[in-house]
This record gives sequence, structure tokens and C-alpha cells, in this order.
Amino acid sequence: MKIEISLFGALRECEPDARLQLELADDSGVAGLRAALAAHAQSQWPAPRAGLLGKCALADERSILRDGDALPVDGRVAVLPPVSGG
Amino acid sequence: MDRHHLAVVDAAQGRLDPAAAIDFVSDPAFGGIDVFIGRVRDLNHGRKVVGISYDLFDALALNGFAQIAARAQAEFGPRLKLYIAHAKGRLAVGDLAVVIAAGTPHRDEAFRACRMVIEAVKHESPIWKQEHYVDGDSIWSEGCSLCGDAADGHAAPHAHDGHAH
Repeated sequence: MKIEISLFGALRECEPDARLQLELADDSGVAGLRAALAAHAQSQWPAPRAGLLGKCALADERSILRDGDALPVDGRVAVLPPVSGG
Repeated sequence: MDRHHLAVVDAAQGRLDPAAAIDFVSDPAFGGIDVFIGRVRDLNHGRKVVGISYDLFDALALNGFAQIAARAQAEFGPRLKLYIAHAKGRLAVGDLAVVIAAGTPHRDEAFRACRMVIEAVKHESPIWKQEHYVDGDSIWSEGCSLCGDAADGHAAPHAHDGHAH
């Protein structure tokens, strides 16, 4: 399935329009997406930004996704760097 | 009537309004209202700040605000009224970044609910700030990872590299 990934905060500038698409097997799960995203980042992003991925959460519009979760059915995932609101 | 007002306000569209927050949480039966206002300050880690850009994942932020409000209501009772609003976009020094207001019958619950909500918003909400400095440099602030316990709603005061909260 095709996963549409949105980037926020310090990762916004890593991709045009802060978005990228990755093709994953339907049963990849969130852990599979995280591994694919890390591989993409290591080859395409500046080292400090790729390193930031390890501290990032993945989420859909409702909640944080855990590694054991299935991928969202709508194929839309957000990458959330450590937060700093307020 | 809904007892919680939850909002993300784009700086290009409008400003946060503490008077509106107080009005929203007011009630003839309430003797206590506590308001927290977060503003952009002009200095951080010794560097002169001229502004901050806030980035938000709006949909998840608003869902998170609702969950925080529900937790506050469970702790402080069904009469609690809450106003939670956070700015998005480019702000200048002195601009308001966040406004939290809590209204309750007595002051103790108002103080505690307001404190609980602002701490939760800071530690759990998908919000990022990029500080802009007088020398033209800009840096995204380090923050709290949502990978661990903080994302489950159990954040406690803690320290990061260079700052504590």
C-alpha cells in the first residue's frame, strides 16, 4: 500500500512540501514503516535530521501509533519530532 | 452547551484573546477563574529572539486538547469549564502563543486545572516552535519526545538538554 507521510517541525524542510510517499506491503505495520522511513532518511536527508527520526513518534489524526499497530487504512501518517509547544 | 473551547488560531487570521477565554469559562456559579497566558519572550539561552514560528498538526492537536480537557474534567469535576487555544504561524516578541483558562466554583480547582492543562499541552501536543534570532539565524527548539510515557498522558516535570519544565 502507498503511505502518504507528512513531516512537521524540524523535518519539514527534508522533503518538498514536507511530504513523501513510500510503498509498503499491506502487512508492514507501523514498525515496517518506521524501518522504511529510516532507510529513506539515511540515504536522502542530512545526517542530523535523519538522526532525529529516532526520537520521532508516528501518528494519524487521532492518536500516536505504536510499533505493533497496523498502518492506518487511509494510508496517511504524520512524523512528529519532539514537541515544544506553549 | 459545550464546556470546552478548543482552538488552533492561525496568526495570519487572528490573535488569541484572553478576554474571550475569561468570558467563555465564566459562570454565575463560579467564584474562581485562572488564566495562563504564554507569550513570546525576547531572550532564550542568552540569544536575542525576534520571533517564533509555531508549526502544528492541527487535527491531532485538537483531538489531544479534547483528551486533556476530558482528563481535567475527570479530575476536577463535570462543572469545570476550559478554554484551550494555541497560536500557529509566525509570532513577534510579546505576541500570545497560548491561552488557557479554567473556571470552577472555587479557586483551588481553577488553579490546579489550569496548571494541569498547560503542562499537558506543552508536553503532549503536536506543536513545534522555531525561534528566530536577531542575527538572522533560526533554530527549532528541542522538546519532549512523544515516543514514550509522555504520549500516554503521564508526563511529569522533567528536564531536557539546556532547559527544564
